Amino acid sequence: MNPAHVTRVYAQWFRVRLRSTISWTLGLAAIVAVTAAFYPSLEGVFDDVEEGGGLSSLLGLSGDIDPSSPLGFIWTNLYANVVPWVLMAFGIALGGAAIAGDEERGTLEYLLSKPVRRGEVLVARFAGMISILAIAAVVSGVALLASAPLFDLTTAMTATAPDGSTTTNPGIDAGNVAAGTFAALAVGVGTGSTAFLLGAVLGRHGLAVGIASGFAIAGYILYTLSNVTGSLDALTWISPWRWYVEDAMFINGLDWDVALPFVLAAVCLAVGWWSFLRRDLR
Amino acid sequence: MRHAIETHGLTKQWGDLVAVDDLSIRVEAGECYAFLGRNGSGKSTTARMLLDFIRPTRGTARVLDGAGGDPNIRARVGYLPGDLNLAGNTTAHEAFMFFGSLAATPDRRRLDDLIERFGLDPTRPVRELSTGNRRKVGLILAFMGRPELLILDEPTSGLDPVLQEEFRELLAERKAEGATIWLTSHVMAEVERVADRVGLIRDGRLARELTMADLRRQTTGRVVFTFAGRTDPAAFEGLPGVQEVDAGGEADELTVTLNGSAAAALSTAGRLGATAVRTERRDLDDVFLDLFEESRR
Repeated sequence: MNPAHVTRVYAQWFRVRLRSTISWTLGLAAIVAVTAAFYPSLEGVFDDVEEGGGLSSLLGLSGDIDPSSPLGFIWTNLYANVVPWVLMAFGIALGGAAIAGDEERGTLEYLLSKPVRRGEVLVARFAGMISILAIAAVVSGVALLASAPLFDLTTAMTATAPDGSTTTNPGIDAGNVAAGTFAALAVGVGTGSTAFLLGAVLGRHGLAVGIASGFAIAGYILYTLSNVTGSLDALTWISPWRWYVEDAMFINGLDWDVALPFVLAAVCLAVGWWSFLRRDLR
Repeated sequence: MRHAIETHGLTKQWGDLVAVDDLSIRVEAGECYAFLGRNGSGKSTTARMLLDFIRPTRGTARVLDGAGGDPNIRARVGYLPGDLNLAGNTTAHEAFMFFGSLAATPDRRRLDDLIERFGLDPTRPVRELSTGNRRKVGLILAFMGRPELLILDEPTSGLDPVLQEEFRELLAERKAEGATIWLTSHVMAEVERVADRVGLIRDGRLARELTMADLRRQTTGRVVFTFAGRTDPAAFEGLPGVQEVDAGGEADELTVTLNGSAAAALSTAGRLGATAVRTERRDLDDVFLDLFEESRR
């Protein structure tokens, strides 16, 4: 493997994808900032949400998360759903484009007529996918950190129960944002890697994106319906939502479950490598 | 290195479709070999196997004494695909710098010279260029590194006559510098001025191999005799060296296609009182069609 070739192929793909990277990144940052801006006006909206039900699992509510607190609000409205979904969608777009997209357009074949190895292209594109996702995730985290003080999200909130007891919920800090952003990025990397693997094995962009999207949606449906019905619980281990929502790393901090998508990504890279180096280009 | 390209029993099969069938060719170093065939005959599939984009079902292919997938070999090869596609908004200049940097440091003087020769504006995104201008980009990319071996798939497709001439000159220069050229085409006249040898591929099989000298001999074998009146073509049929007699032209003319000595035809024409004689150069494409008809039989 020639590191100079990997670097050049990586940089060239980065340049090619710059425009779409900016669009996705600014879009996600805008969603984060706009959602944060709603916090002061949504007090009391979540009072009727029943804990443990289907709606609460859709919102990512579990344990003692208070959706009207700063942490609970951002978790239920952004990090339990929108941020990982956007990063998953972006990951699928990048993973599908990395090998299969270029292969179908005929651009990959010309690149491989030059003195680069297939493995070098594979590694460069995989690294490109992860770093572009990381940029989108980090910028969204920075957008939250920048907008949180403007909308009282960094201020601790004291709630008084009917019996007169009080509970103090802390405001958002950089640790919450870093942990939540990293966990959401991990989900995006895992899902993008499945699209990458399918593209490397099949060489078909539509199939890679379609199957990876199907897995992502099926995993979400499986997890939420299982929470509602209580059945098929054993199968929910294949869904990233199980550990992602239950661990709520945005609130509780990182734990080792966050490594699971990266292990999946490493397996996808290894299997994709094995297949891509052996098969015919389309 | 004796052979720049060498294939043995090269075969590519997808299910029941045999795209290339038991192809064995040798292209000498410094030679220009034209691979001719109709659309879908297996020319591009062969090129893709030479560069390891697709793997043979059977047989072997060697390029510059190595494997087409070896980066050290590819660094010595210039490739022009049938249809050049470059990613996103890549401009021609960016493409030259990027692809050039993968092989070596791009030679700016060489690059500027090629851009000037082909009259290309390198600042525009390649995907916005016309077919002909994209072809120019592909040719510059193929030639800019002064490769030892050029693999060119339909190189003049989309180029106007002036640029075709420029391409032929460029090819002749590289050949004079010792490069080997392997090109595909379905237009015989296109390769006439550049090729040393021609391989005819039909339905994936190598039907014929001829030198250009063999081909040129076949283009000059038509003689038209003018007589004082209508003459029976049967007088020429079956004569030594006569392949075909055609009375379909002017009423007082007979066109005799030769495949050997003209002595018997000339003698008979003289005996029948021919008043004029002229030779006609057959179109190379006619020869191409005839050869394919022969290979079909």
